[in-house]
Amino acid sequence: MEFSDILASIIHDMKNSLGMVINTLEEITAESDDEGPQQKKIPILQHEAKRLNNKLIELLTLYKIDNNRIVATIDEVMVDEFLEEIVIDNQVNAQAKGVTLSYTCDEYLSGYFDEGLMRGVINNLIGNGLRYTRSQLLIAAQMVDDYLVFQVEDDGAGFPDTMLEAQAAFELNESYVEGHTQLGIYFCGMVARLHKNGDRQGFTKLSNNNTLSGGCFAVWLP
Amino acid sequence: MPARTWFSERWGVKFKRSNLESKSYLVVDDFGDMRSLIKNMLLSCGAGDIVAAMNGAQAIKAMERKRFDVVLCDYNLGSGKDGQQVLEEARHRQLIGLGTVFVMITAENTREMVMGAVEYEPDSYLTKPFNKELLRSRLEKLLAKKQDLLPIEKAVENRDFTLALELLNQKIAESPPNIGELNKLKGEICLQAGEVEEALVVYDKVLAVREMPWARLGLGKALFGAKRYAEARVVFQDLVNANDRYTAAYDWLAKTCKCLNQHQDAQDILQKAAKLSPRVITRQQALGELALSNNDVNTAEAAFSNAVKFGKHSVYKHPSVYANLAKVVAENKTGGEGLKVLKDMQREFADDSEAEFYNAAAESVIQRSMGDSEKSEQALERALEEYQKLGKDVSSEYSIELAKTYTKLGDPDKATELFHQAVRNNHSDEELLSELGATMQSLGLQEDPSSLISEIRKEIIRLNNKGVELAREGKLKESISLFEEAAEGMSGNKVVNLNAARVLLMDIEQNNNYAGKINRVRVYLDRVKALDPDNQTLRKLNAKFQEIVGT
Repeated sequence: MEFSDILASIIHDMKNSLGMVINTLEEITAESDDEGPQQKKIPILQHEAKRLNNKLIELLTLYKIDNNRIVATIDEVMVDEFLEEIVIDNQVNAQAKGVTLSYTCDEYLSGYFDEGLMRGVINNLIGNGLRYTRSQLLIAAQMVDDYLVFQVEDDGAGFPDTMLEAQAAFELNESYVEGHTQLGIYFCGMVARLHKNGDRQGFTKLSNNNTLSGGCFAVWLP
Repeated sequence: MPARTWFSERWGVKFKRSNLESKSYLVVDDFGDMRSLIKNMLLSCGAGDIVAAMNGAQAIKAMERKRFDVVLCDYNLGSGKDGQQVLEEARHRQLIGLGTVFVMITAENTREMVMGAVEYEPDSYLTKPFNKELLRSRLEKLLAKKQDLLPIEKAVENRDFTLALELLNQKIAESPPNIGELNKLKGEICLQAGEVEEALVVYDKVLAVREMPWARLGLGKALFGAKRYAEARVVFQDLVNANDRYTAAYDWLAKTCKCLNQHQDAQDILQKAAKLSPRVITRQQALGELALSNNDVNTAEAAFSNAVKFGKHSVYKHPSVYANLAKVVAENKTGGEGLKVLKDMQREFADDSEAEFYNAAAESVIQRSMGDSEKSEQALERALEEYQKLGKDVSSEYSIELAKTYTKLGDPDKATELFHQAVRNNHSDEELLSELGATMQSLGLQEDPSSLISEIRKEIIRLNNKGVELAREGKLKESISLFEEAAEGMSGNKVVNLNAARVLLMDIEQNNNYAGKINRVRVYLDRVKALDPDNQTLRKLNAKFQEIVGT
């Protein structure tokens, strides 16, 4: 066994424990009507545990990409069902932070992508968005120029200019990026690029002031 | 409960959903906290009828007692059966109904499991951790989908593929949002029904829109079914090149190589797949047998011992694997160690005539190699006794085993006769024929098995054509005696038995000539039913038979 394999199996183990933590916290919130000061701290725990879980998935996926152990397995996915589940999954966290989390897409929109990988990407973007938004997070999916475009938008302060300018660099994977947000962007870009159709390849795009006033992270899939 | 308000206005409108309250649930997890967690989630969704099991054996017992609407099963169940083995056994033994939703709960991204699944896939995978609302939404949709497809699945279970496809085509014609899923199902049913041309059309259409591994794999299977092996090989090879962890594609590539008489390639391919996911025991068995016919006893021993090790709790556990392991171990190590494997085998399969046959046959070979011809002969006697009991008429599997045994005991004439019989009984099964050829060659019984096999095939095809021709000319009596005589000599040959039944039925219908024929038709149809229950000609003849018997 190589060291990186051992590392990966330890991460799996950590993820199992974390899963129990997340589920147990959920049970505690569901069971208690108490609105005491201690109870109010539970959502913080929940949010951080969930974030940790997303980061572990990110780590495992990057590990597999690095070892060439992963290819995007394209299948037809009903986008509405896909986004509905993601929103359900993150709803408790969003509510605890007082954020309205919703999604919009055509009821019959179907897309071709790797469901597991894209779930990781969008969970990641929601996790980040919950930190930076003021009151809303909106997920949208639509077809644009024969690409399926997922967007996660917030009404926070938006991405700083330096990031908007630097995005070409992460896209090309030219510079090593530091800091949590950038690492998340790096991950999303990697997954987007795993999606290919003919000679077209997926990519990501950052912008501000789309439908909401804050940042908008878009993943374009061919 | 505010968590639902954001979509409550669309509740029940967007997707078809089924109610969870009146359903029965089985929760399988080796971890007590997880069991109670899932149970609590279900309770708070309004479910009341929930049974929990802590391992695979308990889960199977629970399913033997009761039909569940939903099974939620963790993949990882500690020692004993894993989740996939629970699913395989439940579906294989029909412990769960067609309407049952089976959800596999896994710890991580499950793509690799899906790509490795050989025969049975769960209805859905659920990755931990998940919350109550997600579970609820997933189950509601899955149950509704099952409900929607139930008439089709019922038709498939009755092997009425014509009806199943008719129902499916009606749905597809409405272009519903889940048309992709329906096309996938249609392709699978076409393949099961042997409608390979239609399967080719389905997959070509899907692939014209977008490249997808499941559709490409389906196309390869359809080409294989159409005996277009060279083209199928390219398709499977491309899939493996694009994703070297797609183990299901390896299995089909190996099958295809076998039909092309590329036995070494087939072995190399299965070896790679077995390394990627060693727990699939049908693959280990196939690898072991290939290695044997390639005279690679080390690989064979490793494969058979893996098949035994991982198959302990599997519904696919088979006595032939133990017998093969015993023989290879006796050859590679000592006879005594081979006999030890046979002892283990007796413990694993108590009161099983099939196992006793394999056991005795293997023992006779091992005893002979140890120089004890008396014990060897006694074992052979026992094997022959069991062989008679098993009804040698039907399955070639046993006669092939017996042929191998005779070869090892130094009786090539009896062995050759049995091999030829197996070829005659299976003249249209290319994969088996190629296997038989390789085996005869590796045992030194036949220098040029392929020309021998093609001779025998031609002879049978000629005979069938002649009988059909006679019937067409109205010489039913002659046709009947030709086919019945042939069916006597080749009782395990599907085509011959079907033709015998067909001309007898024609005679009954046209000439109202029943005398003694009903029972004969029944014998021929039953033989085919035992060999190939999916056979569509059998289905049609059976329907006609029922009509006649009914009146």
